[in-house]
Order: sequence, then C-alpha cells, then structure tokens
Amino acid sequence: MAQQPNTSNHAPSGSSESATKHVLSFLLMIALTVVAFALVMYDIVPTNMILPLILVLATIQVFLQLFTFMHLNQKGTAFYTIFMVTGILIAVVSAVGIILM
Amino acid sequence: MAAQTEVKANPNMPNHLETATLDGKNKVLGFWLFLGAETVLFACLFGTYLALRNQTMGGPDGQELFDLKLVAAATAILLTSSLTSVLAMMKMNQLNYKAMQLWLGITVLLGASFLGLEIYEFIHYVHEGHTFMSSAFGSSFYALVGTHGAHVTFGIIWISTLMIQAAKRGITKETAPKLFVSSLYWHFIDVVWVFIFSLVYLLGKVG
Repeated sequence: MAQQPNTSNHAPSGSSESATKHVLSFLLMIALTVVAFALVMYDIVPTNMILPLILVLATIQVFLQLFTFMHLNQKGTAFYTIFMVTGILIAVVSAVGIILM
Repeated sequence: MAAQTEVKANPNMPNHLETATLDGKNKVLGFWLFLGAETVLFACLFGTYLALRNQTMGGPDGQELFDLKLVAAATAILLTSSLTSVLAMMKMNQLNYKAMQLWLGITVLLGASFLGLEIYEFIHYVHEGHTFMSSAFGSSFYALVGTHGAHVTFGIIWISTLMIQAAKRGITKETAPKLFVSSLYWHFIDVVWVFIFSLVYLLGKVG
C-alpha cells in the first residue's frame, strides 16, 4: 500500500489555509448580521427600504454558507446544486403564493 | 480507538473521506435532495407567518414582544456553532480524532445554549399572552420558530450520538459520511435561522 504513488491524498497540506478561509467567511457573516441588526436598531434608512435591504443581506449570507461551509464551491457538486436550486425555486413560488393568497 | 490509529497509519486515505465510498457519495447526494425539500417546508412556514403576522387578535405584536438583544445573542451562538461544525469536518478529513471531537462537542454545547435561550424566550412570550392558540400571529410564529427549534434539538441529539459512534469506531470510511451529513444539516439550520432573524425578528421590530 505504502509504495503506491500517491499525489492527491496529502490531507494535512493546505489545511491551515482552508481554516483561514472558513474563519474569514465566518467574520463576513458576522459583519452582514451586524449590519442587518444596525439597520433596524438605529433608524439608518427609511422604513420601506429595510425589508429589501435585510433580504439582500440574508441572501448574501446564505450563499456564503452554501459555498464555503457546505462546500458547494468544490468540484463534483453539480447534482447537489441542482437539488438545492430546484428546492429554492419551488420554495420561493410557494412562499410568494401563500403571502399573496 | 484501535480503528482510528489504523486509519492514521494508512497513507492512501483520500482527501475527502466522506465521499470515498459509493455508499458515502450516495449519502451526501441523498442528503442534498432532503435539504432541497426542507427548503420548501420552511418556505411554506415563512409564507404563512408573513401572511398572518399582523393578525394578533388584540394580543401583543412583534414590536412589543421581540427583544433584539436576545435575538442577537442567539444569532451569534448559532453562527459560531456553524463555524465550529465546519472546523470539525476539516479535522475529520485530517484524521485528527481528538480535535474533531472537541469541535463537535463545542458545536453541541453552543446548540444547547441556543435552545436554552429559545425556551426562555417562549416561556417569556407565553407569560405576555402570546401563545400558539392566542392568534393567527401566535400560531404561525410558533409553527415557524418551533419547527426550527425542533431541528436544532434533533441536530444536537444526532451529532451527540455520532460522537459516541466515532469514539467507538474512530474516523473511518463508514463514520465519516455520517458526520459530514450531520454537519450539512447543522449548516442548513443556521441558513434557516438567518431568514428567521431577518424576516421574523428584524421585520417584526420595524412593524
């Protein structure tokens, strides 16, 4: 086993880099959350602007989760993305339908 | 523990242990299909809540009830647990058993403190006259936030039992997909919470 050439399996290499990446995206998520809370707590923007703004902030944060923490940025995840996108499409149609009903 | 040292000695262990076998690949693929379906479930609960949130039947509304400091604390706890969960998966793929269990343990503890805050919050609301039965606002609120809380509860139990299994069998091609899938579940819970704090609590404060 040990003498087989083995190019792609060095698990420890590059690991610290990916930890940094995760911590960075975590800090970005915290920042997005703080902005969303600040918008509501400190009356920074007009009331009718708050809903679209916090929706945009939440969407950015969710994409960060999906593509960094849940690894959708990696190769071979096309089917995962298809499942998720289909789910999100049906979800949006359902939610908007219920709200407008 | 014996299994774990055995794994460590094997230099041919793949980079992504969770998808190293066909079984593991199928587990992860199937779990993404499940997450797509869960998205629809939560979207329907969100739609129902947003349609009914002003029907308070004379009871307290969100603006009176919600305490953003408590919500901010709960959000910080859940976000941090999402980070510790992804760090645990990183340690799993480095075959670092002790660090993985440590991060998983912190994830479970953070999840439990989030749940504690939520239970405290719900008890407080019931004393204020905001219950499942009090109004359409109450029913849709508890259906949505309660379903999320039930997911957190299940996630805590699931990850804890997987920690016990990992303690018995170590990090193997069989345990790794299970741990990875539970981590995906935990991130999904966090994704749902992002929309709950935005659309329920923040929007509720605006009116």
